[in-house]
Amino acid sequence: MAKLIIDDLHLSYGSTDILKGITATFAQGEIVALLGRSGSGKTTLLRSIAGLEEPKKGVISIGDQPVFDAAAGLNVPSEKRGLGLVFQSYALWPHKTVFENVAYGLRLRNVPKAELQQRVAAVLEGVGLGHLGERYPHQMSGGQQQRVALARALVYNPPVILLDEPLSNLDAKLREEARIWIRTLIKRMNLTAVFVTHDQVEAMAIADRIVLLDGGRIVQAGTPEQLYTEPVSLFASEFMGVNNLMKSRVQDKRGGYARIELSGHPLWGKDRAGKGVSEEATGVIRLEQVEVVDGEGENRVPAELETSVYLGSHWEHVFRCGDQTLRAFGRPLSAGTHWLHLPPEQLWVF
Amino acid sequence: MNRATRIAVIVAMAIAVLAPIGLVVYQSFLDGPFFQPKISFTLSAYEFVLDDEDFFDALYNSAIIALGMTAIAVPVGALLAFLMTRTDLPGRRWIEPVILVPMFVSSVVLAFGFVVSLGPAGFVTLWFKSTFGFVPWYLYSKWTLIVIAGLTHVPHVFLYTSSALRSLGSDVEEAARMTGAGPLRTALTVSLPMVMPNILYAAVLVFFLGFELFGLPLVLGDPEGILVLATYLYKLTNKLGTPSYQLMAVVVVAIICIALPLVALQRFLLRAANRYVSVKGKAAAQKPVSIGVWRWPAAAMITAWLLFTVVVPLSGLVLRAFVSSWGEGVNLFDVLTLAHFRELMEFPNLTRGIVNTLLIASVGGALSVGVYTMLNLAAHRWPSGWTRLMDYLVLLPRAMPGLVAGLAIFWVFLFTPFLAPLRQTMIAIWVAYTLVWLAYGMRLVSGALLQIGPELEEAGRIVGASPGRVSRDLTIPLIKVGLFSSWLLIFVTFMREYSTGVYLLAPGTEVIGSLLVSLWGTGAVDLVTALSTVNIAMIGGGLLLMSLFGKRSHG
Repeated sequence: MAKLIIDDLHLSYGSTDILKGITATFAQGEIVALLGRSGSGKTTLLRSIAGLEEPKKGVISIGDQPVFDAAAGLNVPSEKRGLGLVFQSYALWPHKTVFENVAYGLRLRNVPKAELQQRVAAVLEGVGLGHLGERYPHQMSGGQQQRVALARALVYNPPVILLDEPLSNLDAKLREEARIWIRTLIKRMNLTAVFVTHDQVEAMAIADRIVLLDGGRIVQAGTPEQLYTEPVSLFASEFMGVNNLMKSRVQDKRGGYARIELSGHPLWGKDRAGKGVSEEATGVIRLEQVEVVDGEGENRVPAELETSVYLGSHWEHVFRCGDQTLRAFGRPLSAGTHWLHLPPEQLWVF
Repeated sequence: MNRATRIAVIVAMAIAVLAPIGLVVYQSFLDGPFFQPKISFTLSAYEFVLDDEDFFDALYNSAIIALGMTAIAVPVGALLAFLMTRTDLPGRRWIEPVILVPMFVSSVVLAFGFVVSLGPAGFVTLWFKSTFGFVPWYLYSKWTLIVIAGLTHVPHVFLYTSSALRSLGSDVEEAARMTGAGPLRTALTVSLPMVMPNILYAAVLVFFLGFELFGLPLVLGDPEGILVLATYLYKLTNKLGTPSYQLMAVVVVAIICIALPLVALQRFLLRAANRYVSVKGKAAAQKPVSIGVWRWPAAAMITAWLLFTVVVPLSGLVLRAFVSSWGEGVNLFDVLTLAHFRELMEFPNLTRGIVNTLLIASVGGALSVGVYTMLNLAAHRWPSGWTRLMDYLVLLPRAMPGLVAGLAIFWVFLFTPFLAPLRQTMIAIWVAYTLVWLAYGMRLVSGALLQIGPELEEAGRIVGASPGRVSRDLTIPLIKVGLFSSWLLIFVTFMREYSTGVYLLAPGTEVIGSLLVSLWGTGAVDLVTALSTVNIAMIGGGLLLMSLFGKRSHG
């Protein structure tokens, strides 16, 4: 069942268009990541759902109830939408204790005192801060503050919870733990969640589905696997992983595959954009798909090893093939020329 | 606040700001006071004033004094700011709070202090004469007035320049030092250009204050008949025998016409001054620059300035309040007395004035801060034509010196039937004070509001609070400390205010400032010095409270 529906949403600041027609549906119990670069409109979209920005066109519905409909002149104020939002800066009120920060939403809903006590305690327990209710936000660490912000957004059981770059203020180690922790919590409570991030690893780790945005439009929406293994455009493929890019022209086409050239060596790849013969095209292959092999063959190119970087679990090698740079992961290599295999089903031609 | 309340508040403010000015402009085109039954429109008042040599004399004097004091205050203030914030000057810690004293003491009180200390029969003059046999200065000349006005306005320049220097990270200076510039070169080529917009702003402010000058020329210019615009207006009251309202209105219009462009220029410069704020580096640890042996002449210069502008006038004034007579050959210890203070207590209007001043500063000040907060909340996070209108409206009262605003409010209370019964109550005074300090108070409160991030309020909306609840539960509690310190500043400001109450002075509306002005006219020096001493003590109390609070809120 669709919990949140966005239909043809447009928003502009003055003459600058920020959102240029966003249509998306979010199902009950689903975690969706809005992924994009800064300026892609992902935060604006989230704030529009929250009612903090006013689009100029489109419809937003929560459950069956429209909360924004430009044509009907409907714009339900934030406080009447009943959503939960975790701010990037957490936005905890410094003059209230942790308990009071969390309890405020319940007080506004006139929840009786005993029930309020019990519900706040329960949600604080749920985020692992049961014993810290009397502290003030400034007496807590960044990770704890983030949990308070989440508790504050969850306590009144919102139909949808929104998270704006929830992990960006945590340090790298904490972030990895928080990814798993947040996903587990949201899944356990069977909540519908929408979160904004610019980090594709974070998006893949937390979300059931990713909506990739660029320039105020949706580029691609799907499961993390779909986005990673079947990107629909050059932008999507570049955004989702670490890639080798090869500028070339289409030489030949056959059975869903297209042939390009890398410094004179022919390479077959999946034809993903339907470019015609002799049109300019770009070949894309993920770093981890490039294999170092023993000798020549189909879809193989010779390359000079330029440098190797040790990354702990593996090595990253930088090769030169004519005027092109190719990178690959692998075991330590000796200097000199090596053969690289670029499997045609992993090489995408856009 | 919802939209309707916001608009209502802004409209109310527009009426409060525009009514006095409208009335003044209306009056300036009449041939008699506006309350007379038979009046007609005419330009005769303009003709009279523009024909009056005294008016042009006053205008010329105002311009010369404003220019002269700017030329003195800006370099001294900027140098002082640099020495205090950036160098290892000895005794910086205890000099700093004293520097701002001339800003907090009313200038009419300072002027009295100069008279009793450096006037022809002043303490210092007599001592100098008996020691050296001659006196090389004359207090009542235009040039002395310029020097005194200049030196007493140094704190304004100091304040703006030093805060700019402080917000400038020392990393930009260190970067200059690393590339090979010496301390002096760094100061001249990096620090100075970066705070130049702020210095320029302070210069325009001081020039503007020069045009508004009232207390100093009233006391120091009068003996030689040196008139400036404000004192010309004050003297005009009785020029034609009958109250010549239309002439006063013309002078007020002239003052506003000069002041308004200056205010607009200040606003423009303030924007420019904030240009570098966003690019500041880490302002954390600033390492003072060592200026070597130059420390001592620098310290001597500051001490001399403090001695002249703070110590000499204030100590002279306080001393004068406690002696029965003085002169050549009188030992001051033999003539110490409390008689002047006892005399003070015998005048019911004077004791009432002291009580009224305390009330207007404490209760009135709190109410004013309440008004300023309401106005700020009405415009808070609401980008619209209404708030822009409000931005411009705030400038108008800024262009009215206290004397002028007091007069205009007096007329409004005279003119409006339902307000007339309140004219001789402290309510009229409160309205005038609140209006005069509108821009200042608004800035104090908005400074506090700027400290809170928008997401703190958005978070309130998201969890279900209406805009009104957000203001009540989140915004106001968050700026509580800022509001309290705003109140303390308004308290001291209202305490020292002297010119706004002048035209509103009536039985029941006495405040110390306006009483001082009228008492000085009668020549009751004993009472004036005693009352001034009381005023200084009250302001001192306020400042003490402020520093205690400052310490507490920092610790």
